[in-house]
Amino acid sequence: MARVLIVGYGNPLRGDDGLGWHAARRLSENIRREDVEILTCHQLTPELAERLSQVDRVVFIDAACVGLPGEVSQQSVSPAVSAAVDFTHHFDIPALLACTQILYGVCPQAVLCSVAAESFELMESLSPAVEAAVPELLEQVYRLLE
Amino acid sequence: MAQQITINPVTRAEGHGKITIFLDDDGFVRDAQFHVTQIRGFEKFCEGRPFYEMPSLMARICGICPVSHLIASAKACDELMAVEIPETAQYLRRIMNLAQLVQSHALSFFHLASPDFLLGLDSDPAQRNIFGVMQSHPNIARDGILLRKFGQQIIELLGGKRIHPGWIVPGGVSEPLTVEKRDQILATIPEALATIQRTLDWFKRTFDNYPEEIRTFANFPSLFMGLVNEQGELVHYDGHLRFVDATGKIVADGIRAEDYQDYIGEAVEPWSYLKFPYYKPAGYPDGIYRVGPLARLNIINFCGTPLADAEWAEFRELGRGAVLSSFHYHYARLIEILNGIERIEHILNKPDILSKNVRAYAEPNRLEGVGIAEAPRGTLLHHYRINEDGIITYANLIIATGHNNMAMNRGVLQVAKHFVNGTKMQEGMLNRVEAVIRAYDPCLSCSTHAVGQMPLQIQLVSPDGAVLDELKR
Repeated sequence: MARVLIVGYGNPLRGDDGLGWHAARRLSENIRREDVEILTCHQLTPELAERLSQVDRVVFIDAACVGLPGEVSQQSVSPAVSAAVDFTHHFDIPALLACTQILYGVCPQAVLCSVAAESFELMESLSPAVEAAVPELLEQVYRLLE
Repeated sequence: MAQQITINPVTRAEGHGKITIFLDDDGFVRDAQFHVTQIRGFEKFCEGRPFYEMPSLMARICGICPVSHLIASAKACDELMAVEIPETAQYLRRIMNLAQLVQSHALSFFHLASPDFLLGLDSDPAQRNIFGVMQSHPNIARDGILLRKFGQQIIELLGGKRIHPGWIVPGGVSEPLTVEKRDQILATIPEALATIQRTLDWFKRTFDNYPEEIRTFANFPSLFMGLVNEQGELVHYDGHLRFVDATGKIVADGIRAEDYQDYIGEAVEPWSYLKFPYYKPAGYPDGIYRVGPLARLNIINFCGTPLADAEWAEFRELGRGAVLSSFHYHYARLIEILNGIERIEHILNKPDILSKNVRAYAEPNRLEGVGIAEAPRGTLLHHYRINEDGIITYANLIIATGHNNMAMNRGVLQVAKHFVNGTKMQEGMLNRVEAVIRAYDPCLSCSTHAVGQMPLQIQLVSPDGAVLDELKR
């Protein structure tokens, strides 16, 4: 049973929004640990709550729409019920964690690793600035797994 | 002074819509319109693309029901290729279609509609959402998650991913089913069945709480349309079109996909991007019909699975002919989940389900093809024409929400007339106007080919454009 879940999410057809997918693929090639599970998705949905309830830690990887392009950041995230919860398309990390806490009585430690995006235009590759920042992002994730 | 109320956008629906309620000089509701305010244009921008790209392109119309578009599109492409796809490929497409029906119906019922039933139509809108349900009824919220997961896992196992899987292709499917995946799906059936049965049990008990809503939520005579097979059985993948009237009498039957234009016309109105399909023999606007779970259960002779047939017998008791109240879309949705789970199990146990023969190959052999399937929200139709090089020259898509457009408009008017008093706006009465739309589970993104934020803004506007009152949430 995985005790750490890595969730790379976003739209891989919209340039830097695909950061989570690109990073998850590279992490899958390098991480060979049974206690680590890596998954990708377009968006966060309530169904993920059950998966989160089964791990000790979750690492989210997503592009940031604020900051200097290529800027790598890391932050802890806590459960919070957001004001707009008519979700089918907009479900953020605090809401997902709150959902996990409410429904399953547990909540993993959660960290968001992100890179500030340069472009969300229609393309399947990352922008040069974000692509150059991926190694630093991966290092950050590896350190979290230590 | 005549006034109007605008609900913009409509919340807890897929996509972006707006409702305008027109009041007369005395503050009584005179008319109401449900507008779909965005357009996506898939029918035009696919022109010039090779036909075999269509399933993948069309799946991008929607993140909730991409499988339905994949299937209708692939069936239209099968017609262009003039191939009969292998039987196992049909079985596998059916399983994926049913898995999507289960997860989409669960999303509609548990995440979008259940706050109204569990917390009350007049409850605080800040609490009347899925988080409110999680806090007050965590067991029910977990059941919703379980049924969503059930369907999504099947889609992921078959198609490689939950959203926009590319496994359904012209001529069949790209990969056969493995024994491991079959057994993995079968292992999830008992829990899914138990979950939907207890959901039906509690939901049916709530009917007594909503007599007024059942009586007024788009409760009027109309036609109903959907697919049935030769025996009149509930089907979602293949079959022919059938129309029944409000008394339950069949008015047209055995309609082949390629003949749809003989029976379905498409009108347009200047105030909405969503077209208004109508039953051609009755003309526009008299040819109003409904599609989707309620319609499907009104047109069939039987469901074809034992547990769903037992529920269907109870459902039929709700009307003397067809069941007319759109409130019962929710009940029909749950019965279809039950039927879907039973049927998935049945198909998975077929002896040929693991056959490696799952795809037919051919060049285009016809210049025109129509594909029809039942999407969660109703009948989905893809119609393509190609040139001799296999390039798309024409595409017409009629989406479930389009078929229901006239009925949704009439439903909004009926609810508004009953609940809205223009001299005094209350959130609960406007929520009922939205709730009648939710009963149809419209997918506005699909229907116009839409993205948008969904805060709710309601304005009371005088004929000269002055905002007389405003509510926001």
